[in-house]
Amino acid sequence: MKARILVVDDDEALAEMIGIVLRNDGFEPVFCADGGQALEIFRSSKPDLVLLDLMLPGSDGIEVCRQIRGESDVPIVMLTAKSDTSDVVRGLESGADDYVPKPFKPAELVARVRARLRPGDQKAPETLRIADVTIDVAGHLVTRGGERISLTPLEFDLLVALARKPWQVFTRELLLEQVWGYRHAADTRLVNVHVQRLRSKIERDPEAPEVVLTVRGVGYKAGS
Amino acid sequence: MSAIKQVPEPTAGKPGGPDRSDAGLATSGHAAPQAGEPGHVAPEHTDAHALNLPWLMSRARIWIRRGLILALRVSRLVVTGVRQIRPGLRFLRHSLLRRWRRSLEFRTVLMTLVLAITSFAVVGAYLSNQIANNLFQERLAQAESESSYNVKQVQDTFNGAQVTDQSSVITLVYDTLNAVEGRGDVIQRRYVFEAMPEQTKPRNRWVESRASDQLTVRVIPPELRKAVQESGTDQYWASTEFPVGNEDRPGIAVGNKVDFNGTVYELYLIYDLNTAQQTLDEIQNVLWTGGVALVLMIGAIAWYVTRNVVSPVSHAAVVSEKLAAGQLQERMVVKGEDEVARLGASFNHMAASLQEQITQLATLSQMQQRFVSDVSHELRTPLTTVRMAAEVLYDARGDFDPMNKRSAELLYNQVERFQSLLSDLLEISRFDAGAAVLDAEPQDIFQVVGHVIEGASPVAAEYGSEVRLNTRQKSIIVEMDSRRIDRILRNLLLNALEHGDGKPVNVSVAANHDAVAISVRDHGIGMSQAEAARVFDRFWRADPARARTTGGSGLGLSIAAEDTKLHGGWLQAWGRKGSGSNFRLTLPLKQGGTILKSPLQLEPADIELPGAAPERQMLVLGAEPAAPSTAEPSSTAPNSGGPS
Repeated sequence: MKARILVVDDDEALAEMIGIVLRNDGFEPVFCADGGQALEIFRSSKPDLVLLDLMLPGSDGIEVCRQIRGESDVPIVMLTAKSDTSDVVRGLESGADDYVPKPFKPAELVARVRARLRPGDQKAPETLRIADVTIDVAGHLVTRGGERISLTPLEFDLLVALARKPWQVFTRELLLEQVWGYRHAADTRLVNVHVQRLRSKIERDPEAPEVVLTVRGVGYKAGS
Repeated sequence: MSAIKQVPEPTAGKPGGPDRSDAGLATSGHAAPQAGEPGHVAPEHTDAHALNLPWLMSRARIWIRRGLILALRVSRLVVTGVRQIRPGLRFLRHSLLRRWRRSLEFRTVLMTLVLAITSFAVVGAYLSNQIANNLFQERLAQAESESSYNVKQVQDTFNGAQVTDQSSVITLVYDTLNAVEGRGDVIQRRYVFEAMPEQTKPRNRWVESRASDQLTVRVIPPELRKAVQESGTDQYWASTEFPVGNEDRPGIAVGNKVDFNGTVYELYLIYDLNTAQQTLDEIQNVLWTGGVALVLMIGAIAWYVTRNVVSPVSHAAVVSEKLAAGQLQERMVVKGEDEVARLGASFNHMAASLQEQITQLATLSQMQQRFVSDVSHELRTPLTTVRMAAEVLYDARGDFDPMNKRSAELLYNQVERFQSLLSDLLEISRFDAGAAVLDAEPQDIFQVVGHVIEGASPVAAEYGSEVRLNTRQKSIIVEMDSRRIDRILRNLLLNALEHGDGKPVNVSVAANHDAVAISVRDHGIGMSQAEAARVFDRFWRADPARARTTGGSGLGLSIAAEDTKLHGGWLQAWGRKGSGSNFRLTLPLKQGGTILKSPLQLEPADIELPGAAPERQMLVLGAEPAAPSTAEPSSTAPNSGGPS
């Protein structure tokens, strides 16, 4: 079955070009040129992934991102022309999993899309524990004290990567490679922002984390 | 009436007399009859010291007592203070000196006080002197006229006397003389009556001498006696002191001759100056009190006036300091229309135009940043489309005929080049707009260097060049924006590979106390002086005819120079035709730190020296002092294993 991808971009030429590239690589693109209708089209088309331009008429890309994230865990990859730190960070904080800066190569775009669409690769039944959090890997389920915690696939992958090797300290570069699928060093802000998001969901007190610990000057590790 | 004469008085001849040089309070006898009159003793000097003696004594006593108290306090202060409050005293002295230097107000008030005290001392001394003199002269004139009258009375009485027996003569003389003293309780004048020595003694001379209570002839200055004795009928005067009760009083003695029954007598009438002295004391007290009060008031007035003038000035100083610190909305308070108000108004005007200019500049800079950001977005979106389309075509070029195939290749390559040019342009304009921000954090320079060398390895392989890393250190932590340093080094390395002629490229890293240096040395075609001087210019190319092979934009080194400047470092180039070139980046280990000396040499030690004079080229960027590395003639750099 072809993966359906919602392309939210006001630039029709670019949207069409992205469509050509995606179709060429075996995806099924759905288009939306107006941020105001993005949520509606998202609901009706039920895509497997959203490609979202940060600057949209009608509604800010960041706002659209927040709306979609409000009702779905579907992966969101932002297209951004602004490489300014604050914009990228704002986009990531509003719920995007990854971003591709313009101008990008078709291969780059497809690689990012594929990385996010990576199927659960039929994970073996496995139960992991960090602090008082239990992770059912196969069931994609995270609980704390019997209470279910909802995580996006990316956050889940991040938590599982840390939980599998609780003795190891992961550098941001290593996490980028294992969780995001980057082969070359990329923007480590991705890691920082998503660790913050993950903490806000699973930590009792995100200010004093117990599940995902920061190792100063190195990276992150799982709590015991 | 005979004229009254003053007796000349040798200074030394007056026992116990106060020092004559103390003219401040002395009266002078210049109002006495004209000098040079025949037969008269010229009155060179006056003897008015007697007038001031008691005053001086009492003054002195007061001052001595005050001085003693002060000395006691000072000594107590010194004794305890030397050990305990010496730092305090030093601090006091220091703070007073500091105030003297820094406070116009303090200085003005102090100066005014000193000047006021000096002028009051001078004026007071003059006034006191004048008053004393006038008082004395007045009393002297009175004494002279009274004396003439009284002596005449006595002489008349004596002339008309019936000389019968001793007792009646004595009674007559005594009564007459007592009458001179005046009636009532207060003695108006005292007398000394003495027969002239060395004269024939008549038979019936029953009276030798007579004087008022407590007086003897010794109170009469010898000079006066001599003058009276030697003259005819003239009247002479001199200052003297005489005992009353337990004290000595200042007085004027007026001497005459009277004759009685064939005997010539000296008759001296002595006038008390005590009341004049008391008046003088009171006047001087008033002068002192008034002087002190006036000095204090002048001090207060000076303080008030200076404060009024200085406070707007110090207000202006405070405001301009705030302005300088960036609080552009600060203004001075303007009141009235005086000079200070004008100063305030023009200051405010200046501040307003300054603020306007700065705001305008800030707005311009913001606008440029906005523009750069907008252009960035507007250009990048269509460029993305073009790039993707070009790539799709490029990927499918196998299916095209040769002409279309080549077109697809050209399109693809030129779009790539366009894209790199665009991003470099945007980067440069971000620097120009002042929008570039340093995102520095401590990091190991070798991590960045290793990453750059690794990233350039495909290019190195393409040129067949070997990249060698020379260093003695294993880890150098530098506070830097690694993204920018990565970009600088990548640029230098790719440049070196491009111009390296396939020969090895040496990357050297070394550090000293405050700086780290990375040099990239190639052994390629090199560059001339003129070229080295322009190498950081925008869009400059060493050889315009030379084909661009790595697709550089011509902005790479300019961006590297800007990135270096942002770090407060140096980026320098050296080159020689045929000997290759060397680029050296020197960075402070800590942001804000200063670089005194680069740990690496700019001119490599390995160059061959041809017979001709070497062409040395270098371009200095950043804040390095003039003639930077030529000051290192030999291999003084810590990294002796440098370029080799």
